[in-house]
Order: sequence, then C-alpha cells, then structure tokens
Amino acid sequence: MDFKLSENTTMIADTARRYLKDNYSFDIYRSQLQEADHLHAARWQAMLELGWFGLPFPESCGGYGGNLVDVAAIVRETGAALCLDPFVDLVVSPGKLLEYINTSESLAILEDVIAGQARVACGLYDRYAGYQVTKPSLRLNGYRLSGQKHVVPDGGCAKRILVSAMAGDELLILALPVEQCQIERYRLLDGSRASSLMLDDLEITDAMILCRGEVARQALSGWFDYMCALDCARMYGAASQVFDDTLEYARTRKQFGTAIGSFQVIQHYLVDMFIDLQQLESMLLMVLVKAESETVSERVRATAAAKAYYASQAVRIAQQGIQIHGGVGVTEELNIGHYFRLITHCSLSHGSRDHHVSRFIEADAAV
Amino acid sequence: MNLEFSDEELAFRDTIRQWMKANVPDDLRRCTARGAMPGKEMQQRWERLLGEQGWLTVTWPEQYGGPGWTATQRYIFDLERASAGAPPTSPFGVAMVGPVLYTFGSPEQKDRWLPGIRSGEMLWCQGYSEPNAGSDLASLKTRAERHDDHYLVNGQKIWTTQAHWADMMFCLVRTDSTVKQQQGISFLLIDMKTPGIEVRPIYSIDGHHHLNEVYFTDVKVPVENLVGTEGMGWTIAKFLLTHERTTIAGVADTQNEINRLKAALATMAENYDKHQAARRVAALEIDLMALEYTNFRTVAATDEGKPFGPESSGLKIKGTELQQSVSQAMVELGELLSLPWDNEQPIGNEVFNRASRRYNFLRACTIYGGSNEIQKNVLAKMLLGL
Ligand SMILES: Cc1cc2nc3c(=O)[nH]c(=O)nc-3n(C[C@H](O)[C@H](O)[C@H](O)COP(=O)(O)OP(=O)(O)OC[C@H]3O[C@@H](n4cnc5c(N)ncnc54)[C@H](O)[C@@H]3O)c2cc1C
Repeated sequence: MDFKLSENTTMIADTARRYLKDNYSFDIYRSQLQEADHLHAARWQAMLELGWFGLPFPESCGGYGGNLVDVAAIVRETGAALCLDPFVDLVVSPGKLLEYINTSESLAILEDVIAGQARVACGLYDRYAGYQVTKPSLRLNGYRLSGQKHVVPDGGCAKRILVSAMAGDELLILALPVEQCQIERYRLLDGSRASSLMLDDLEITDAMILCRGEVARQALSGWFDYMCALDCARMYGAASQVFDDTLEYARTRKQFGTAIGSFQVIQHYLVDMFIDLQQLESMLLMVLVKAESETVSERVRATAAAKAYYASQAVRIAQQGIQIHGGVGVTEELNIGHYFRLITHCSLSHGSRDHHVSRFIEADAAV
Repeated sequence: MNLEFSDEELAFRDTIRQWMKANVPDDLRRCTARGAMPGKEMQQRWERLLGEQGWLTVTWPEQYGGPGWTATQRYIFDLERASAGAPPTSPFGVAMVGPVLYTFGSPEQKDRWLPGIRSGEMLWCQGYSEPNAGSDLASLKTRAERHDDHYLVNGQKIWTTQAHWADMMFCLVRTDSTVKQQQGISFLLIDMKTPGIEVRPIYSIDGHHHLNEVYFTDVKVPVENLVGTEGMGWTIAKFLLTHERTTIAGVADTQNEINRLKAALATMAENYDKHQAARRVAALEIDLMALEYTNFRTVAATDEGKPFGPESSGLKIKGTELQQSVSQAMVELGELLSLPWDNEQPIGNEVFNRASRRYNFLRACTIYGGSNEIQKNVLAKMLLGL
C-alpha cells in the first residue's frame, strides 16, 4: 500500500492554502455570513484561474482530470479557512452530477460550469425523502411538476437548479430555471446559503429533462458518494484547525498561575483529540480512494463508514475544542464555535450518522 | 422505602398544574415550544406573575416571603412549571443574590433589596468572571477602593449574562491586594445606571445576545452596598455554590425537551426511520431516569434536614451532560430539518428548526457556573480526599 499523496496533489493543497491565506480570513468570513449572495466576483475569478473549476472533471468533458483526492485537497483547505465561497455548491456538486449524467445536454451545461459561466446548484433533497436520494417526493404529471425541494445549497445566487423527481415509477433529473420557481432563501448552520423550492404545477419542457431511469439512478448514487467524501474532507480541514488552535490555546491560556495545558485532564483531552484526528485522517484517505470505485458496494460501504465515523469523532473534536476554550469558545468572535457549526453541519448534510450506519449495514448485506 | 408522592403531594401537584394551565402566557408557551429563549419583556412579565403569587422565590424561607414548601413540593413545582411550557426563572436575583442577602445582609439591605427580587421587579446580573479570572476566580482584579462614604470601582467583568437587562449587579471586587487572594475579595451591589459603567454585548454561537463585557471606570458605589464585611466576598461566593441543589440537575427542563423531541419525531415523514430514532431517545430517557432518582434522593434528604450527601455531587455534571446529549440528539435526529439557521417558515416540525441554536448555546452549560473539570477537581478533593 502507498498512502503518499502525489506531488501534484501536494502542490494543489499548497496552492489552495496559500491562496486562502492571502485572500480569505476570519473577518471576511464573518462579513460574508451577513451577505445573501455568496458569490464574490474577484475571488470567483481567482479560483477559476487557479484551475479549481476544471480540476474535478475528466479531460473528455473539458476538465483537467483531477481525482477526488485532488479535489479534497482543496476542500480540506476551504474547511480549515471557513471559506464560504460556493465552490462545492456551484461547481463541484452540480458539475459531478452533470458529468455522471453524461448526455450531450448535461455536458453542455458542465462546460459552462467549468468556464465559470453558469450558476447551477443541486436540489436533490426534500423533507419527505430525507437523504434517500433516489426517492424524491417531487412529482411530474405529464408536463407538470409539483412538490418541494428543501435545503438546496445555492450560494444564494444559482440561476438553475438540478432537481430529481418521479414520473410514476421513473426517476428523472431536470434542470429548472430558478426564475420559474417559487423560492425561499435562508442561511444554513455552516453559514452557507440555501433555498427551498415550492413548485406548483410548474410547466416543464423536454429540454429541461436531463435524464431518466437507470441513468438518473446511477448518476445520483455516484454523486452522493462523491459528496459524502467531500463532507469528510471539509470536516477534516476544520477539525485539524480546531486541534491546532486548541493546543495553542492550552499552551498560552493561564489560570491558577499556569498554562491550562499543564492540567492533566486537559492533556488527556488533547491527546484524545490528536489520536482521533489521526483516525479521521486514515478514514479520509480511505474514503477518498474508494468513493470513486467502480464497484458500487465498495463505494457505499466506504462512504457510509466514513460519514458515520466523522459524525461522531469529528463532532467530538469540535465539542472538546469549545470546552477547552471555556467561555470564549462559545462566542461569535472566536473561530472555534464556527468550526463547531461547520462540523455539525457536515455531519448531517448528505445523511446523518444513523442514516449512514443503516447504509453500511445494507452495503454489507449486499456483498 | 416508598417511591411515590404522598396524597398531599399529589393534591399539591394538581393545584400547581391547574394554575400553570390557566396562567402560563400563550406567547411564552409558544416561545418555549419553538425552543427559543424569551426576551426581557416576556421573561419579566412571567416572573412578575409568579411574584404576585409568591411563587418566584419558592426556595426562600418563609420569613423572607417564601411559600414554606418542602423540597419535594419545590421539585414538583419545577416539574409542573416545565411541563406547562414555562422557562426556568432567571437565577441571578432569586437563586443567588437573594439568599446571600437574607443570609449575610444587614436589616437595611434586606428591606431595600429583597422585595424587588421577590416581586420580579428588579433584575440582577452576576459580576464574577473576568478575562483572566475564569476558573481561577480568586485571581480577580477589579478593584474597589474605599473613599469616605463610597467605593471607587475600576476594572472589567466578562461573560455577564443579562447585564444589558439588569438593574443591579452583584459583584466580586478586590478591596485588599496585600493579603492572600481569597481574603481580599468583597461582595458589592452595584446599580447598573451608575456613571462609569459601560456594557458591551458579546454574541454567542447561537447568534443571540445573552452575554456582555462590563467596564468600570471610577464607578462610585455607596459603602452601604457592601454585603457582609470587607474581605468576606469569597466566603459568600462559596456559600452560593453549596446552596439549593434540588433543581440544579435540570431534570424538569430536560424531561420537557425529551417530550418535545418525541412529539416532533411523531410528525416525521414515512421514509424516516422512527424506530432507530426511538432507540436513541429511549437511551436518553433512561439516563434521565437515573438522574431523576438521584435527584429524588437529594430532595428527600433535604426534607429530612440532612446535609447534601455524596449522591448530590454529580447532579450538575450529569445534568449538564444530559442537557447537551438531548440537544445534540434533537439536531441529529432532525437531519435535514436541523440545517436551516434563519428561515422564516420552518421546514417540517418547528422543534428541529431551532434545535441547532439551542445545541450551540448548550455547549456552554458544562463551562458556566464552574466548568465540569473544575467541579470534578473539587469533588476529587472534597469527596474522595485526593
Ligand atoms: C454562557 C455563559 C454564561 C456565563 N454567565 C456568567 C455570569 O453571568 N456571570 C459570571 O460572572 N460569569 C459567567 N460566565 C463565566 C463562566 O463562569 C466562566 O466561563 C467559567 O468560570 C470558565 O472560565 P473561563 O471561560 O475563563 O475558562 P478557563 O478558566 O480559562 O478554562 C478553560 C478550560 O480550562 C479548564 N480548566 C481551568 N482550570 C482547570 C484546572 N485547574 N483543572 C482542570 N481544568 C481546568 C476549564 O475547565 C476549561 O475547560 C458565563 C459563561 C458562559 C459560557
């Protein structure tokens, strides 16, 4: 086995880290939190120029042929930097779905995404189906679409939403223009922007339908695993930052005339966090390789395990980070509480721990 | 052994239940049902209502206007209050400075301050913590220098809950820096409208303003606002730590949270794995039961006039851990529904819609009032002799 990252991946990670250090900050994050539109023109252009938009996609689709390990190298850094620029929501997530759909219509939209010309988001969940991605509650009757999509991460500015729906027993994926939908916008736990779509007999044209049936099912299943792995990467970036900052705080914060890091209980907490972080990294490396596997059961087993593990252990690190910081850990002014929100968010998006434990059991039974 | 309430206690419970049903204001009930915390007006309106009934200061001795209830009755009252959807009362006046005043205060101080606390008219805040004196409270630096008929206070407090609501602060200050740390601390009552006081908000990670920094620049405090004698502040602060333990575990409110969660789960869509969720909730309820019976033991011992036994030592630690676990379960079981932060229209059940804010805020409950690490240090020393 070989766990070394390629030179290319290391370079991508270094570049991302440097870029974010120079162009993003906790202050920028906090002011972005207050904004309804998360697309910042100059940074968007910079990310495009860094090649991030093409990286996740094969050369045959006009991308640069990076794998999940490469993309995760960026997402880890955006997690560590609390960056709210909707790179995943408006590029990676819709782009991967379009790539997996693999029709001429979908690839045409993907081309625009890679060129930074499109504002497309994925609306694949609703409150009735939860995270069961292939059982949407949206219904297509003839050419009329009705129902709702919830928690659509859209950067506050998507122009088109890729939605899943059922026409009778058949699964479909459609691309809906936002201006034809009734929409409610809000902020999410991690500070990102999202919306709910309320569709009431929306008239659909053939051109909006991207794919059906088995193609749609496979595209969604591949997309779901890919997104689960990216959730882990983002949590890893955040959790490792929590650890670094908390260790530093324990060294410098003094009570009773000495650094709190000299108290044994705090030492044990930090050692636990460190060990857990190593385990999280192992899980991350595992899932990044396996989430793109051709074998569905292997893919599902890996992403379910990783998400379930992260949902308990990464969350635990964030909680301990707050506890060791004391009062200042629960304030908006310090980053620690924001990492806690980000990690909690990612531990639920694309399925909670319970959801993934169930998937894991099913995947095991299927082998 | 007898683990049931007596007939009198059951009759008492019914009286309280009926009163709560008729008197908890609808807006307050709705606020709690949403998982939100009431604002100043709503909270104070409720506390005044209790005050009129003589039920705000249920822990106080009769001679100071308490209702003369047993610990069991107080416990029942708390259960009924929570299950009627009313929030806990603010602790600073009723549970903290009130007992200090009737225990250590002069007759004038009692006459002057106790009535406003009893009626809910006067709101208090607790000025203990400072930026560099959190767990190590005895290292506090806010100075009070004696000048004729007043003290001149200079320094800074932090994490002061509800300082922006309060009329008065009870405050630990350093009056002598030449003696051992603990011996140079005094207990002062400070009118929040005094010139030289500046209150600055701190937003916590639930997105709300509960906490403050309070700055003192040459703040004049009359000497008659000193409680006890100079240097007695530490003794008074320690007295408060061992006061009233019968509701410290928060059993009533945690039970209410579990009930809210169960009701919300019943509304989940068909696809949702209710069985799995029920197992998680059951585990929490079982933990709560253990805490509840430990709490009953403390209550019963109190009614027999016994000092707190070892069984009461874990009430705060276990109670706060459980509050956190319940709030975490609420967020996690809500899945998708827990993710929106500021949407107007809840997606699905409103219980989940606010659950993440509450979960965020409750990370603090193992930190405030003496962190759980500090609690354990104290127990190791006092209880186990380590
Ligand atoms: C929501 C909230 C409301 C509050 N309300 C008030 C209020 O109204 N009035 C008021 O005066 N204060 C209030 N506080 C302050 C609270 O009492 C302090 O936050 C608390 O005492 C801890 O102090 P600190 O934050 O400075 O943390 P620190 O003391 O710096 O502690 C940091 C970490 O080190 C640990 N630690 C410290 N010493 C030891 C040790 N000896 N052994 C092992 N571990 C140790 C702590 O447990 C903690 O995990 C509030 C705090 C919060 C979060």
